[in-house]
Amino acid sequence: MAYANPNITADAVDAQEFMDLSRRYRVTGVPKTIVNETIEIMGGLPEPEFVEAALQPPGAPGR
Amino acid sequence: MALLTDQDRQTITAHLAPISKRVDVLLFTQTIGGSESGLIAKQVVDEVASLNDKITVVDKSFVLDTEDRAKYGVDKAPALVVLADGADTRIRFYGANTGYEFVSLIEAVLLAGTGNLELEPESIAALAAVDKPMHIQVFSTPT
Repeated sequence: MAYANPNITADAVDAQEFMDLSRRYRVTGVPKTIVNETIEIMGGLPEPEFVEAALQPPGAPGR
Repeated sequence: MALLTDQDRQTITAHLAPISKRVDVLLFTQTIGGSESGLIAKQVVDEVASLNDKITVVDKSFVLDTEDRAKYGVDKAPALVVLADGADTRIRFYGANTGYEFVSLIEAVLLAGTGNLELEPESIAALAAVDKPMHIQVFSTPT
């Protein structure tokens, strides 16, 4: 996704190595994705659903 | 001791064979006060780079290379930044890149080296409409 658009940055974060971040984002299971600090996507989703979830407006119901 | 078996090396070498662009992997580590995972990350990327002569590992100090840290937005270590022909792909890895993340690293290097985006056309169209900074963080564990 990051490669597709210069506005997008994608980080793969080791949840065990960076426990402070995991606590901040309440990572209790993996994979868990955080978009712009507000959108939470739990688990692995098929690509179309993942992209749709990542692009949802802030405040929309999470996945 | 090598992390990859001979079989691993053969499989990954074949997988990375389509790479045509130069891929630089910037590795930010912290020697003093850093975690052991920096050493593991170094071994992982060095072994991957040894499989294709278009892949280069560039060692960076998390403490001293502050300009590059700022340029690439690196705020923790160990960190990997993947460049394609010197251009930032905006793909980052934080941690040692073992387990599942190793597969992700291989795919990121392949993407950077080929430019072949394997997303559905609908996804590419939707992502093209993103006109503000978007930061995606995917948390996972090595196992």
